[in-house]
Amino acid sequence: MKTVIQIRRLTKHYHMGDTVVQALDGVDLDIAEGEYVAITGASGSGKSTMMHLLGCLDRPTSGTYELDGDLVSSMSDAQLAVIRNRKIGFVFQTFNLIQRTSAVENVAVPLFYGRQTRVQEPSLLALRRVGLEQRAWHKPNELSGGERQRVAIARAIVNNPRLLLADEPTGNLDSKNGRAIMEVFNELNRAGVTIALVTHEMAVAAQARRIIRMVDGKIIEDAVVTDAVRRELLGGGHYHGDAATSSHPPAIDSAAPTSATPPVAAKSIPMARKATAPPPAENGEDGSGGEHPTSGSRHRGFVETPKP
Amino acid sequence: MFYFRVFLMSLRSLLMHPLRTALATLGVIIGVAAVVAAMSILEGMKASFTDSFSTIGTNTLFVTPAQQRRSGRSVANFDTLKLDDCEALVRECPKLKNATPQIMSGGMVKFLSKNTQASVLGTDEQYSEVNSYKPEQGRFVDKTDVLSESSVVVLGHKVKEDLFGGRPAIGESVKVSGLLGVRTFKVVGVMEKKGNLGFTDVDNQVIVPITTAMNKLYGMKSVSFIIAQAVTPEQADIDGAKEQIKRLLRKRHKLRPGVSDDFSVQAQEEILAQFSTFQQIIAVVLGSISIISLLVGGIGIMNIMLVAVTERTREIGVRMAMGAKRTDVLLQFVIEASVVSFLGGAMGVLAGWGMGTMIERLTRIFETLTTASSVTMALGMATVTGLMSGIYPAFKASRLDPIEALRYE
Repeated sequence: MKTVIQIRRLTKHYHMGDTVVQALDGVDLDIAEGEYVAITGASGSGKSTMMHLLGCLDRPTSGTYELDGDLVSSMSDAQLAVIRNRKIGFVFQTFNLIQRTSAVENVAVPLFYGRQTRVQEPSLLALRRVGLEQRAWHKPNELSGGERQRVAIARAIVNNPRLLLADEPTGNLDSKNGRAIMEVFNELNRAGVTIALVTHEMAVAAQARRIIRMVDGKIIEDAVVTDAVRRELLGGGHYHGDAATSSHPPAIDSAAPTSATPPVAAKSIPMARKATAPPPAENGEDGSGGEHPTSGSRHRGFVETPKP
Repeated sequence: MFYFRVFLMSLRSLLMHPLRTALATLGVIIGVAAVVAAMSILEGMKASFTDSFSTIGTNTLFVTPAQQRRSGRSVANFDTLKLDDCEALVRECPKLKNATPQIMSGGMVKFLSKNTQASVLGTDEQYSEVNSYKPEQGRFVDKTDVLSESSVVVLGHKVKEDLFGGRPAIGESVKVSGLLGVRTFKVVGVMEKKGNLGFTDVDNQVIVPITTAMNKLYGMKSVSFIIAQAVTPEQADIDGAKEQIKRLLRKRHKLRPGVSDDFSVQAQEEILAQFSTFQQIIAVVLGSISIISLLVGGIGIMNIMLVAVTERTREIGVRMAMGAKRTDVLLQFVIEASVVSFLGGAMGVLAGWGMGTMIERLTRIFETLTTASSVTMALGMATVTGLMSGIYPAFKASRLDPIEALRYE
């Protein structure tokens, strides 16, 4: 599989007054074509920063980020705009559709900024892929939440991006619509779209095929989700329907320890450690023989609370 | 294609808030209307002035009483030019072909129960020739009328129409009111239709012998001004004529060397030059007013664009995430501001044209002339105003951090 994303020693520092916040602290990450990755973590874990960097909305303080062979970490604003336009599709928690235009025109926005002349056909095609072709001429306020998020997904895929980035895509939806949206993602992934999903909801993350957990700007867990894990996570009652709408949705750090049953980690979930080492070419650079530099801090269990 | 779509997009967002857009354009509408109305008044004045002066002839000289300065203030001195002066000019200046004295005032002209307000001109028999302005019916005032102070009157075209309509006027009696009271005059002629001569609408004028006007209507001992013609329009002859007039009048008025003239002599060209200075002053005044109103209009647009940028912060973030470059965002808002002000400009042109026409109808002083160049200039100024006032908000929009913009509530 071709590597879509290759991140090396990525850091991001913010200045908040006099203090420097290390939002990302030397992250290494590879995502191959066709992968479906969930990035999880509590708020402040750096997952949002990760999302912004992956989405080329921001530049790292140090380290390198190659997207589809382009070294985007050192690109100018204008070049990043082109990369976002051609290679990345965004799906946001709040849909972020432009209210005054119809669904199909919303979908056409990336084509518009890509200076493409034929916009309507591909936009309708994208809407068909999310099953919303018959609602193409409705404005966002005439659509339900689930339908709006489908429009947003259609907009994200209309340019056939190399990477589909979703930020809490079910966060503003009820369970039924949330499940339907996740099904759309699954469908797109089966069709070959590379997806990176940022979420704090374990049940949503469990839909992915690989879960990356972040704490304090570091990746502390990077594992493949097997069917068994998925069953465990979905069947364990953590993905209760209205989790998304409750004020305290079960977050990765808090859900397990508070559950009546012993922590899942204690049961030693048969979650396979992500076996795929970075492609051989990078091994040399890495100097760690296929191991990620962060592997030392890796925890076995998925829901273990990390010690600072 | 891309720019056309951006244009459509901005049109659409403007139509989202029709009232807000209308209010934002109001300043520009007023500004542009002021520019267009001012320009059409100026153009109209220029056209009618040039037009009437071209009929007078370039060899014409105007002799007027001088403005005298007393303790720094300018005091008009109306009584220095006598009727004798005019006769002397014709007699003793070889460079002059002719000279005609004039007295101008306004008065009521009445025939039976009908009356009309007209300007009253007292002059002599040469006026008709000097101004190439001929009677259509009957005759003009002649030398005998002037010498005998006879109560005859020649009606302007419009005065005749107002008082008599289609009926013949020659031989009828009309009453003209002056400072000394109302006198009855016998109509001896009706002038051709002429329009403006200088600043006067001569169609709405009645002409009486100058002696009659001075002694029987107004009780004046001097004339308002003298119009003289040099023998040829050559510059040398005009200058020569001026020199002769000055020398003769100084002698007649017994002015000692060192005392300044109590009259002034101006050639047609000098009057035109003076008018053009006057016109420039008006243009500067009206122009400043227009620029100020456009500035106010521009501030209105900038304000509304700043609101639009704040309101659409999140949308800007989304557009940036979808691949909009900073320049694309900049362009979107600059175009939007320009569209607002162009629309305002277009409406302002219509309003200005309407205002000009209204002023023309109400005042009847001069015709207004809305030229293509003034419309183009006004629209151009409006669009530039839009661009100028749109740039800052657009720049602000384009400098937004996409991450911050996406978080904006």
